[in-house]
Amino acid sequence: MKNKRLNLLLIAVVTFVAVWSLWPTWRDYSLSKQLNSFGSAQDSLKYALSHREDIEDARKKSLKLGLDLKGGMHLVMEVDQVDLFEQKAWNKDAKFATIMQVVRAKSAQSDARVIDLLVTEFKNNNIRLSRYFYDIRNSDQEIVGKLEKESDEALSRAKEIIRNRIDQYGVAEPVITTQGSRKIIIELPGVSDENRVRNLLKGTAKLEFRLLREPEVMVRTLDRINTYLVDNGVAASMAPVPDSSASAHAALPQSGSTPSTPANKSTSAKPLYDVIVVFQNGTVYTSEHTKEFVSTLLHRSDIQALLPPDTELLLAAKPDVGKNGEKLYSIYLVKKAPELTGGVITEAKATFGSQGVQPEVLMSMNTEGTSKWARITGANIGKRIAIVLDGAVYSAPVVQSKIPNGNSVINGIESLEEAKDLEIVLKAGALPAPVRITEERSVGPSLGADYIRAGMQSLAWAFCTVSIFMLVYYKKAGIAADIALVLNILIVLSVLAGFNASLSLPGIAGIVLTIGMAVDANVLIYERIREELAEGKSVVSAVTQGYDRAFSSILDSHVTTLSAAFLLYTYGIGPIQGFAVTLMIGTSASLFTAIVVTREIFHLLLAKNLMSDKSFG
Amino acid sequence: MRIFQKTNFNFIRYRKIAYGFSIILLLAGMGSLVFKGLNYGIDFRGGSEVVIRFDKNIDVGQIRLVLDAAGVSGTLKQYGMDRSFLFSTVFQGDSGQLKSLVSNALNDRIKGNHHEIVRIDAVGPSIASDLKWSAVKALFASLFAILLYVGFRFEIKFATAGVIAIFHDILTVLGLFSILGGLFTFMPLEMDQSIIAAFLTIAGYSITDTVVVYDRIRERIRGQKPSEYERIFNESMNQTLSRTIITSGTVLLSVFVLFIFAGPAIRGFAFAVFTGIMIGTYSSIFVAAPLVYDWLRLTKSSVRLRGSKIS
Repeated sequence: MKNKRLNLLLIAVVTFVAVWSLWPTWRDYSLSKQLNSFGSAQDSLKYALSHREDIEDARKKSLKLGLDLKGGMHLVMEVDQVDLFEQKAWNKDAKFATIMQVVRAKSAQSDARVIDLLVTEFKNNNIRLSRYFYDIRNSDQEIVGKLEKESDEALSRAKEIIRNRIDQYGVAEPVITTQGSRKIIIELPGVSDENRVRNLLKGTAKLEFRLLREPEVMVRTLDRINTYLVDNGVAASMAPVPDSSASAHAALPQSGSTPSTPANKSTSAKPLYDVIVVFQNGTVYTSEHTKEFVSTLLHRSDIQALLPPDTELLLAAKPDVGKNGEKLYSIYLVKKAPELTGGVITEAKATFGSQGVQPEVLMSMNTEGTSKWARITGANIGKRIAIVLDGAVYSAPVVQSKIPNGNSVINGIESLEEAKDLEIVLKAGALPAPVRITEERSVGPSLGADYIRAGMQSLAWAFCTVSIFMLVYYKKAGIAADIALVLNILIVLSVLAGFNASLSLPGIAGIVLTIGMAVDANVLIYERIREELAEGKSVVSAVTQGYDRAFSSILDSHVTTLSAAFLLYTYGIGPIQGFAVTLMIGTSASLFTAIVVTREIFHLLLAKNLMSDKSFG
Repeated sequence: MRIFQKTNFNFIRYRKIAYGFSIILLLAGMGSLVFKGLNYGIDFRGGSEVVIRFDKNIDVGQIRLVLDAAGVSGTLKQYGMDRSFLFSTVFQGDSGQLKSLVSNALNDRIKGNHHEIVRIDAVGPSIASDLKWSAVKALFASLFAILLYVGFRFEIKFATAGVIAIFHDILTVLGLFSILGGLFTFMPLEMDQSIIAAFLTIAGYSITDTVVVYDRIRERIRGQKPSEYERIFNESMNQTLSRTIITSGTVLLSVFVLFIFAGPAIRGFAFAVFTGIMIGTYSSIFVAAPLVYDWLRLTKSSVRLRGSKIS
């Protein structure tokens, strides 16, 4: 008798907890319904203000919807470990470059660890890692250990920086986690401006101040490149270039309406000056539709060999608008080694410039940076210093005087929004290595609403058909099974809400499947009870026997389903985990409802003499 | 209400026919897998997909023409039923570019029929191979766990036969996916992550069904002579038949509901689970238990079962 009371108490507690943890969800739902029911926006605003605490509290504790239901972005970003290791290496030569190229190609195609690929490739070439990494006296193993530590640190630092950027941008409830040795998973619910977020996330934000070379040097260099292109059979060397530049965008040619693509001009005598223009004052431009081509050209190793030592040609980040409205990108010849890097920046602020129209970003530096900046500007008065972000030149002002206070400005920005984004990335700091987006799934809010409707419809239909079937097939006993089913669904939803897990479309599919499977335990018991009744036993003993005998198969079958669901959860990613979680909770809940809940219902009914041998259909 | 009054089918006697049927199913599936292969979704092959929804009805051919003219190459298919189209292409690291390209082309050329890009998925090749591996790992780990548990609760012969039945079910569904893949526009049957979830669900369900039959055998076989095994196996299967059919029925009902209502994103999953449940039900009666019976008969051993403490 004591046991029975304990069971009843347990049922009451479980039901209470389930309802209690789902209560905020209900509040949230009814509050937002009320908000939408007002005729005017003013009324609803007034209501929202007067019930603010209520609304916020309910929203915080209510059942969260997954990205696919709410709309939002799911991104997987990969830290470029090959680049990271390249940064760590010293006295790099051509051999090193070829090895790293192979490693890069391999890492793009497989999910093997980059460090392993690196070690194998070095082994294949019979070169010790210490030739390029750390100390010559280090063994390969030590170096691998150090590089591993380095890449772990890079991953967690990258995660922090990305979190900073997202927090500053302002996304409600972002989830940022790392996976494996080089992946960062970012979930951004309710994000509508995907493009902006993407741009915000993918930039390394490597800020550099670099000295410009003199215009004469620039002109001489360009002449040299032009002659080289003429000498080396431009037709042969240039034709494939646009292809390789376009390979990443195979399906996306830049613009179908470009009147003359650079490849067509290959017969010209001045191949370089067909795509770039040198003005009297020494500035060099390329127009918008040749930009891609020029950029690839500048990255070719044979072209780079023609540059003066320790210099690099860089393109402007933003175009200047020419006389005829065409967009022109400047080309700069800058020193390879930066005078100062973004690490010294402590504060960044987006504002409008002195004329009040051009957005710009003001930056201030720490003490070390300030003194360096004063020295650099003092030593280079009259020269130009380029402000380079992620390899693109934002501006290249002429140094007018020594700057003692550590201030600097980025201008040449198109919109205030962009300036704000720059402020965010500069404040958050530079990523230790470039990151790439390797997976992106974004769902618009309207599709999410469709998914919710479809999911709810499936839930309702599945529940109705199954519960009606149970009633028809098992009559009175079917009621007990249906009560158990309701409790089961309640438990699944409440556990999700209670643990702050979110409900996704696969999760709803998991619940629908649970509806079908949860009745299995009851079916097993009822069939058993029918057998016992058929053998002529009394209802009381048939019920007891039925429960006892069905127990072992219920237990075994539930444990096997649970273990399959658990492994699905362990190895699954993203949406699949949502499915696995609901399946696990549903299976455990059905173990409880079938064995404890329905049994207690029968005990109650039997005690009141409300059951007969007809009650099981 | 009862579907079955006392049944008395001689399942064991007809097992060879069932074996033959299963082998034909499996061979057909394998053949199709080898020659036709599977229709991989972007989860496993990498790529980018855009779902576009229009306000008014529009012909697939017209959109295809527009996208071709804009120089966006890829395949375009009807997606679900409601004026939505799925455009898939090679992996674009920057899906923003793809989105604006598609969007601009459609805005320019298809006037008076507003469209919305409701979903973009892009999966890089390294992620795709990652997903593939974790799927395979999950599948084999769960089969191993089932083997261990059933082996511990019953006997290794029972466990092995149960796992063979699971293999049978999953391979059959996989074969069906290969045979039927791409035949229906409303259900392209692409292999993606959700299908792996379906396989694990099928595995869980199939072993549940099998365990229920095993449990009945375990209950009745204690202390019986091997010559009685055929009768006991048959009676056990007949006694659990009603439960087997009803549970399969309720699960099939709810999966059918999913198939109808839950939309194109879940349809492949629902199809896999639906066929998987049917085959799993069949295999627990006609494959798992008969295999155990044959195994016991051929090795002339008697059963020593654990875990039948109740009753």
